[in-house]
Amino acid sequence: MEQTVVAAVKGIVGAEHVFDRFEDRYCYTYDASAVTAGKEGMPALVAYPGSAAEVSALLKLANEYKFPVIPRGAGSNVSGGSIPCAGALVMVLTRLNKIVGIDRKNMVAEVEAGVITAEFQTEVEKLGLFYPPDPASKAFSTMGGNVAECAGGPRGAKYGVTRDYVLGLEVVLPTGEIIKTGARTMKCVAGYDLTRLMTGSEGTLGVVTKVIVKLLPLPEAKKTMLAIFDDMEKAAETVARVFMAGVIPTTLELLDNIYIRNIEAAVNVGLPVEAEAVLLIEVDGDKEVLDKQVGIIEGICREQGATVKVARDAKEADELWVARRAAFAAVSRVRPTIIGEDCTVPRDKIPEMVRIIRAIADKFDIIIAVLGHAGDGNLHATILTDERDRDEMARVEKAAEEIFRATLAMDGTLTGEHGIGLVKKKYLPLEVGEGGMMAMRAIKRALDPNNILNPELV
Amino acid sequence: MQWSDLEREVIRCIKCGACQSVCPVFRELGAESTVARGKVNLIRAVIRGDVDAAGAGFEERMSWCLMCKACQENCPSGVKLDQLILAARRKLAEDKGLPLLKKLIFRLGLRNRRLFDFGMRMGPMFQGLLLRPAPGGKGMLPRLPMGLDMRRLVSPVDARPFRSRVPARVDVAEPRKTVAFFTGCMINYIYPQIGEAVVEVLKRNGIAVIIPAGQHCCGTPVYVNGDVPTAVELARATVDTFAGLEADAVITACGSCGAALRKEYAALLAGEPGYAAKAAALAAKTKDFAEFLAEEGLTAEMQGLAATATYHDSCHLARSQGVRRQPRELIAGVPGLTFKELKAPARCCGAAGSFSLAHYELSRRINDHKVDDIAASGAELVVTGCPMCMMHIRDGMNQRGVAGEVLHTAELLARAYGVEK
Repeated sequence: MEQTVVAAVKGIVGAEHVFDRFEDRYCYTYDASAVTAGKEGMPALVAYPGSAAEVSALLKLANEYKFPVIPRGAGSNVSGGSIPCAGALVMVLTRLNKIVGIDRKNMVAEVEAGVITAEFQTEVEKLGLFYPPDPASKAFSTMGGNVAECAGGPRGAKYGVTRDYVLGLEVVLPTGEIIKTGARTMKCVAGYDLTRLMTGSEGTLGVVTKVIVKLLPLPEAKKTMLAIFDDMEKAAETVARVFMAGVIPTTLELLDNIYIRNIEAAVNVGLPVEAEAVLLIEVDGDKEVLDKQVGIIEGICREQGATVKVARDAKEADELWVARRAAFAAVSRVRPTIIGEDCTVPRDKIPEMVRIIRAIADKFDIIIAVLGHAGDGNLHATILTDERDRDEMARVEKAAEEIFRATLAMDGTLTGEHGIGLVKKKYLPLEVGEGGMMAMRAIKRALDPNNILNPELV
Repeated sequence: MQWSDLEREVIRCIKCGACQSVCPVFRELGAESTVARGKVNLIRAVIRGDVDAAGAGFEERMSWCLMCKACQENCPSGVKLDQLILAARRKLAEDKGLPLLKKLIFRLGLRNRRLFDFGMRMGPMFQGLLLRPAPGGKGMLPRLPMGLDMRRLVSPVDARPFRSRVPARVDVAEPRKTVAFFTGCMINYIYPQIGEAVVEVLKRNGIAVIIPAGQHCCGTPVYVNGDVPTAVELARATVDTFAGLEADAVITACGSCGAALRKEYAALLAGEPGYAAKAAALAAKTKDFAEFLAEEGLTAEMQGLAATATYHDSCHLARSQGVRRQPRELIAGVPGLTFKELKAPARCCGAAGSFSLAHYELSRRINDHKVDDIAASGAELVVTGCPMCMMHIRDGMNQRGVAGEVLHTAELLARAYGVEK
């Protein structure tokens, strides 16, 4: 990057908000995915803008001098959506960290992109309100990042994903225009739905600087239970049966034995380490209906041969959640590298999908642990491997492709909540076809004629 | 952990970013290279040959760690982050050498107990040239800019070290237990009154105390700066001094000293013939003052104290040693005292020993959150189990004009027994 450009960037955001040292830049070559740009893909500069106007000025500069810009929040995405390319400007949005307002009467809130999701939730809950999306990374991920990746979470079974709460956005387009999409109202059909277009666009179509979200009333109470199975199939079958009985649990998480054992080793909360599978089930709502719902679910689980433990108090429920949240990283004890796949299938296909994942693991002689937000069909097949073992990594690659193909054959999708990113870029045409790719590329070209924003992703 | 063993540990970091939500340094500096995930990836980059460990940038980033272990406690993969940073610092010390002042203090001073003791005893005679009393008798302020910030409130080296004030053995009639007291440098040279309070409280509760004269520094300041050979020498000296004593327990009253004796010596002395088992025995026997007393139970009646107190968890006491509940139990047991918990009692105060010398401005910013939390609690007494935290929190409260006293748990109990400090 030319010195004049570096000086201009410093002029826009202030020299103290720009990092140009090698060691600092190196730390933006990765995110929480298994890919990294490495030394070859080093960003030229890292800047922390303090306003949408500064974001706009940076993007205009990028169009003038034709350098790529990679927007980034906390870098907690697992799809490689914020990996830079050589010579890029990494734009970190964590200084935009104000909760602009929480409108209790209309049950909407406006936040800047860099607000930490869990901190926002704490604030709305103080007012008796509820922001349901709860990605596992919520303690450190940002609202803007959640929108860009359309993050999900365990509560998706009942409450959906980030997209279902975004009413409007302030977005800086790749060419620098600051636009507002959507509205602060519950209904809005004015023009194209740019809010939905931007949500999940993975930093390729615009930089989210503000988010307007709708809020719900905070459920009065919740109940958490653990159903323990000695048969994986039975556990997987139970998922669809619960919904068929007319109960919509907030959460229905499936964990296999590899997960159970390693979570227990990590957090030691008394999970049944011998069990083949467990379902972590939560229901929420009015106190009066919870016992009835728990009763129905308990009955189905027992019919399926499970033993059921209902958490007696908030502390016990909390322990189960601590365990669940530790899951993804806890399995890194088994093998040092973990690759979390994110395939999602129709709910009734879960038993079949679990069977296929296990067969693929055997075929390629690798370890695949299974965890899933099974309530919404979102299975996280977790490949446990060692990135230093080249031979195994080649088999991992083949196994992953077979999993993707099987998912699509079952009318599923490549990703339920992580995004395509660099990680699954080459598989996207399998799902959307050549026509779909053409449409997406046309949108990208129209909004970003110089291919400035996160160019490697498209 | 040796540099060559690091790769396996390093690749266990799945870069999830969870450390971002708890790292006090990251909270202030905000750059990815200042959080554990970043530092681990810089170490990984050195192993790959992408980053030059000899460069000033790498060394500076490795120095930006308080060793507070908050990241480690919060790391779902259980990556031994402190061991990684220590290994990097060790490599830097081996490859590049220590700065002259550290080398003089560690290698010449600390390796020779008599010389170190002589130097510390000479301190009070000369420190008046360098330090002036702070208004209100709260401590001393620098007269000259000499590596210390001019506003920095420090406690002077006491004219009479603790160990020359007390006999080598303090007996009681029909002792319930006998303990050996590892005093540590801060208590011995700077806060002898803490040592006196420890002995007084133990004595009143029927515990005999042995205070071995030949004890020396625990080695933590040396260890965290990467000077492993000196740390090993100090660890051996401590093990030799305390291993053979006829005592039911070895007591520490400083979070860092306790962490060294209980956790770090095992790693430092693992490869030393004849020492590994002795270090393990000492680790098993060592207890923090508050932990020991809470377990034994207080038998002597207190007069009580009419005040509001809060408690700061020292990182090395709470996270390294797991002692959180016991000091609170002791404080809550003081008649007349109201206990108010801080909002974030276990957040690092920013002292971290020599960290606050090397990065004073940064350590102050970290400390500001602690002082704000203390001010919001409305407590008059801030109790803690680590003399280094005490000095730093006092400095912060003084600079921010927050009223209140900072006391060691032992001092609070001594007061509750009616002993003037």
